[in-house]
Amino acid sequence: MGRPRAFDEDEAVRAAVGLFGGRAYDGVSVDDLVAHLGVHRNSLYKTFGSKRGLYLAALRRHLADDVRRLCDALAAASDTATALRLVTSADLGLLLLAAVERAPADEEVAAEVEAALLAIDQAIADALAIPAELAAALTATALGILLRGNPGGVGTALTQRLDPLH
Amino acid sequence: MALVRIDGDDLVVVIKGLDKLWAFKSSLTIPLVNVRGATADPGITADPKGIRAPGARVPGVITAGTFHLDGEKVFWDVKDPSKAVVIELADERYSRLVVQVDNPRATVALVENALS
Repeated sequence: MGRPRAFDEDEAVRAAVGLFGGRAYDGVSVDDLVAHLGVHRNSLYKTFGSKRGLYLAALRRHLADDVRRLCDALAAASDTATALRLVTSADLGLLLLAAVERAPADEEVAAEVEAALLAIDQAIADALAIPAELAAALTATALGILLRGNPGGVGTALTQRLDPLH
Repeated sequence: MALVRIDGDDLVVVIKGLDKLWAFKSSLTIPLVNVRGATADPGITADPKGIRAPGARVPGVITAGTFHLDGEKVFWDVKDPSKAVVIELADERYSRLVVQVDNPRATVALVENALS
């Protein structure tokens, strides 16, 4: 039997979501993690194996918490404007960074990101009763707005044109 | 300085030069199934390392050999902290290896790719 862990693993992973979601992977050092997570370096390695191990745990947590919450909210969306607004106002920092930065270099990250995006597509498709491809196009638009901002109200321009989608 | 390579289903860490005298080891072979991950960690050399036996530690010059910390055995071979890589193990004599490599980024990628 090992000694009980002297830190709250759940809390540490949640803190890692914030850290990895706000900064590039290489910009987060083990020193940063030790300082922000309230975890000793030894415990960090013993629990997660590596910085990547902790990153994967944080990403999965982000998907289980934040992306799941978004999908639940999307289920109640009745029009494209609401769906767009829900996605563009969700806390998707880590998902976006992962998609841009880590997914091309890490197959496991790529699979998690892909599954999360498909879940969002599906939630939109179900809520608005539209085909999956059209829902994916809306997700792509929403992610684009998240990256680009919403210059000249592109979201409104699009939804005015699209609603009703079916 | 250490050379880290993958040999079939094993991770092989070769200690180079005179370091092997201080470290009391010339190489370590670890089955990949017992390797949990690798991390570039320049900051680890500033942490307490525990009690050394056997090996050498001249602060600011070299940390090499076996260190005992919190009931764990950690193998060290580091002169230049900026090139330190931490390799976490399971079910091995050592809980973790902290070694200096030429290119930490490449070594981390090599180990992580071998695991996935």
